[in-house]
Formats: sequence, structure tokens, C-alpha cells
Amino acid sequence: MHYLKLLQNLLKLNIQMSLAYRADTVVNILLNLMWLGWELLGLSIIFNNTETLGGWGPGELIALLGVFRLVNTLMAALIWPNTEKFNQSIRDGSMDYTLLQPVNSMFLTTFSRITVWRIWDLVLAIILIVVGINMSGDITTPLSTLTFILLAVSGAIVIYSLWIVLIALTFWFTKFDNNVTILQALLDAGRYPVTVYPVWLRIIVTFIIPIAVATTIPLQALRGDLEISRVLIFIGVGIVSFWIASNVWKAGLKRYSGASS
Amino acid sequence: MSTESIFVEQLSKTYKVPEREGGFGAAVRSFFKRKYKDVNAVQKVSFRIEPGEIVGFLGPNGAGKTTTLKMLSGLLHPTGGKANVLGFTPWELKPDYLRSMTLVMGQRNRLSWDIPAADSFLLNQAIYRLPDNEYKKTYKELDELLELEPLMKKPVRNLSLGERMKCEIAAGLLHRPKVLFLDEPTIGLDITGQARIREFLREYNRRTGATILLTSHYMADVTALCERIIIIHHGNLKYDGGINDLSRRIAPFKLIGIRLSEADSHDLSGYGSEVQNEEDAEKRYIRVRADEVTRVTSRLLADLPIHDITIADPPIEDVIERAFNE
Repeated sequence: MHYLKLLQNLLKLNIQMSLAYRADTVVNILLNLMWLGWELLGLSIIFNNTETLGGWGPGELIALLGVFRLVNTLMAALIWPNTEKFNQSIRDGSMDYTLLQPVNSMFLTTFSRITVWRIWDLVLAIILIVVGINMSGDITTPLSTLTFILLAVSGAIVIYSLWIVLIALTFWFTKFDNNVTILQALLDAGRYPVTVYPVWLRIIVTFIIPIAVATTIPLQALRGDLEISRVLIFIGVGIVSFWIASNVWKAGLKRYSGASS
Repeated sequence: MSTESIFVEQLSKTYKVPEREGGFGAAVRSFFKRKYKDVNAVQKVSFRIEPGEIVGFLGPNGAGKTTTLKMLSGLLHPTGGKANVLGFTPWELKPDYLRSMTLVMGQRNRLSWDIPAADSFLLNQAIYRLPDNEYKKTYKELDELLELEPLMKKPVRNLSLGERMKCEIAAGLLHRPKVLFLDEPTIGLDITGQARIREFLREYNRRTGATILLTSHYMADVTALCERIIIIHHGNLKYDGGINDLSRRIAPFKLIGIRLSEADSHDLSGYGSEVQNEEDAEKRYIRVRADEVTRVTSRLLADLPIHDITIADPPIEDVIERAFNE
């Protein structure tokens, strides 16, 4: 309850901040629409040459693009701005203040910056998913929709956890500013369905770099070609990765308090 | 259960610092194999502070002041020793502890630059779970003492350094902490700015009975606020006691000031070492050991055409300076 109220406060604060930079907000929304056009163009070029991509038709790929953008929204709305803030606070020492507040420091690090206008992205992503699914003619049931949502959340948590681990490494290395560039590079692999990649790469993408969990797999659930046991495994992966991340974070804090001056 | 606010025993902190020689070759070698050097930032420091005390924590740069404050606030784990603040072990970072203390660092910003301080204050209210009426009461009090209201609506980046510091300090006090750790709270401020913060701290301490441990490079801060000082140097405790006793213990000297009725050409070196004093050009000052003051004074009176004579303690700044250099 307390954390919800805190989140509400942070959200309000961030809305105020983004209102202060009007031009910035407008330009960003326009730029974003342009990117979407570019991505759709890319897809149409692919389908001028082939009927399916790894067994996925055009509608399904548009839906996948939607899920991909959902993940991207998470990146752009929370992960990017908070990384910037985090790296800066390590450099200028204001991290000390964050740690001395009677609130979970991982929570504060996650939500102190929220790029509010990215809400448009969210809407856009959902439109893409709905339109894509309709185009593909796949049959969705309430159950498959629910699994889709669960898996998407679980996938988001996997990516979030990966992020936490990456920025927590800063506690050990002090200068690790490209922590999120790595994450973005990994994430870009999720733009196409994992079945496009050769088997060895698919294994890496699915398990070692669990980005696919956040994009392809939820969509597979929506199409109904995912067994229940695998659904449970992927949800488990989300829980475990969150657990690992919060422990790495704790260890990082310990390291910070042991070594910094 | 002890009664003191702050209890420190044999507290020590050793850092491992990577070390290498200058030059390209050394840089490459150290990339593969790091050498570390132990730096003893704080060595077996012990003291206790009673509730409501204002204690000045002094020492030259690198003496270990900030390290000690960071350990006491809970940011750093010590390598040895114990500390207890308000019954808590600081580095366990218990929320109840964090709600009853504050750390204000003059060189670091707590407030967000892009938004008015008022908004950051509200966030703090949420973080510390302060009920509305309590928050408003505290804010009103702080406003009364620091005249915050005109500063609250402007983005923090548009405030002057002095104005920002007022807001920073207020932000650190909204939750009515019982213990204040202040690291250079007046750094960079002009004389009036310093005086205002000082006045505020004294009044705050009087009203709330909060315990304050403060470091500062401005001796005026210390002499105005603290009856007691703790001096550390190279991580070791050098002095802990009354500020007035310091001159007796560390530098038992007095300053004799004389004004001569004739031209000032007399050589005073036979009486004691002469000290420069720009504020009072008409007088000449000599530093004399305390137990020789009477003898030297009577000699001066006998030997020279003296118009006026004063005997005083040396300024505390000089005394502390000497204490550092010993």
C-alpha cells in the first residue's frame, strides 16, 4: 500500500517534469511514429519475398512487433531513464541519499524516473497486437489470452531482472556506463521470432539470454501452441530471475558499503 | 540500554585501494594484475555523545571525518569496532533507524534539479510516511527559521547556492530526525549564508533537542555552535573535549597586545614570537607561553613606553590549526 502511494507520487513528479519539457515530448512522440512506419516497411519487404518467416505469417509478425514494442516501452519508459539516473548517482555520490531512505532501494532505483509520454507506445503496441492477431486468423480463447498476459508479465520481469543484475554490476566496477547498451543489443534479437534463428542460437536466445521469453513465447501462448507445462516453466523462470536479481542487488549494496569512500 | 545518543568504540575502517605506478607499461600491467594497498582511513576511534549535544568533528582533509560519518549513518561497514546510534547498529540500515537520523552532505544534492523543492518535499513526505498534519507542522517550523516559502516554487536549478543549501537542509529534517550528521553544511556559502545556517542549527537544536555531529572547514561554524570538539588526524583521535580547554591542552599560549606611545621601531623578539594581525594594525602582538605571561608583561612594562596592553587567548582557529599540525 505504502509503495503504491509512493509510486503515485513518483508518477506525479515525473508528469510534472515532462510537462516542463514540452517540445521534447512532442518530438519524441513523432519520432516514435516514424520508427513504427520503418519497422512495418521492413516487414512488408520480407513478405514480398516469402510467405512465412519461421512458420509465422504477416499478421502474427505484426503482433510480434507489438509485443516487441511492449518490451521496448518498458525499456524506454523505465529502464533507460533510470539507468541514466543510477549511473549519475553513483558518480556524483547521491546514491548515498537513496540508500539512507527508509524505502527499498531497488524500488527507488526502478521508479524514480518514468518517461510518462511512453504511454502512447503502450497503446500503439496493443493496437499492433490486436490487429496482427486478427489478420492472422489465429483463434484466441480467454484462457490463451490470460496465459499470454501472464507470460508477457513474466517476460518483462525476466528483462527487468537482467537489467537489475547489469546495473548492480556497477557496484563492483564503478565505471560501467554501457551496462544497458548490452541489454538493448540482446533485446534487439527479439524483434523476429526465435524460430528464425538456427537451433544453437535459439537455445542461447531462449535460455541463456532470455529475451525470447518476453516476446515470442507469450505470443505462442496466444496462438495456443504452447503446452501447459512449458507455460509453468516460463512463469517459474520469471520468479527465479527476480529472486536472483534482488539477491545480486543486495550483494552489490554490501559491496558498495564495503568499498566506496 | 545506554543513555547516550552516539556510542563509538574502537571503530576502524581500512580501504583497499588499487595502486600502480605512472606510465603506459604500468597501466597495462595493472589491467591484468592489480596491486592493492591498504589505507587506514579510521583507526580505533572511540567516543560517546549525549543526547542534545552539538559536537564539532574536525580534522584536515583526508583525516577520516567523512568516513566516520558514513559509518555512523550506515553507508559503510567498518572493518572493526562497534558503533551504536540511538540503540541501533547503523550499517544494518533498519528502517526505524533511517527514520530517526539524517545525513546532510554540503557537496551532494538530494533534491532533483528540474523540479521545485516543494515537489521533492512531498516525495519525502511519502517516503517517510509522514501524516499530513505532522508534515505541515514541521514544514511551518522550518519555514519560520529558514524562510523557505519564496524558494519552494522555483526549480532547484534556479536557486542560488545559499538558497539551495537551505532547501537541502530542510529536506533532510522533514522527518524530525533525532540525530543529525552534517558534513560541511556551509561549504561554499558566503559569510551571511554561513551565519544563517549556523543560527538555524543552534535554534533547531534548542527547540528539538536533536544531537548534532558536524564537520566544517569554517572554524566560525565550530566556535559558534560547539562546546565540544573531536579532532582526528590520519584516522586517529587526537582530542576530545571542551573547545575552551583545547587551547590549554594543545597550545598553552597567550597573546599579549601592546600599543607603544612612540614610533614602532622596538625589537620585540626578546620577549616572545611576534604575530601578524591585520585587523588591528596599531597594536603589535607577541605569543607567550601561558606560565610566562606575568614575567614577560612586567618586563614589557618596565622596558618600553607602553600606552596600552592587553592579554588574551589566541583565536581558536590558530589553536586548532596547531593541533592539526602537531
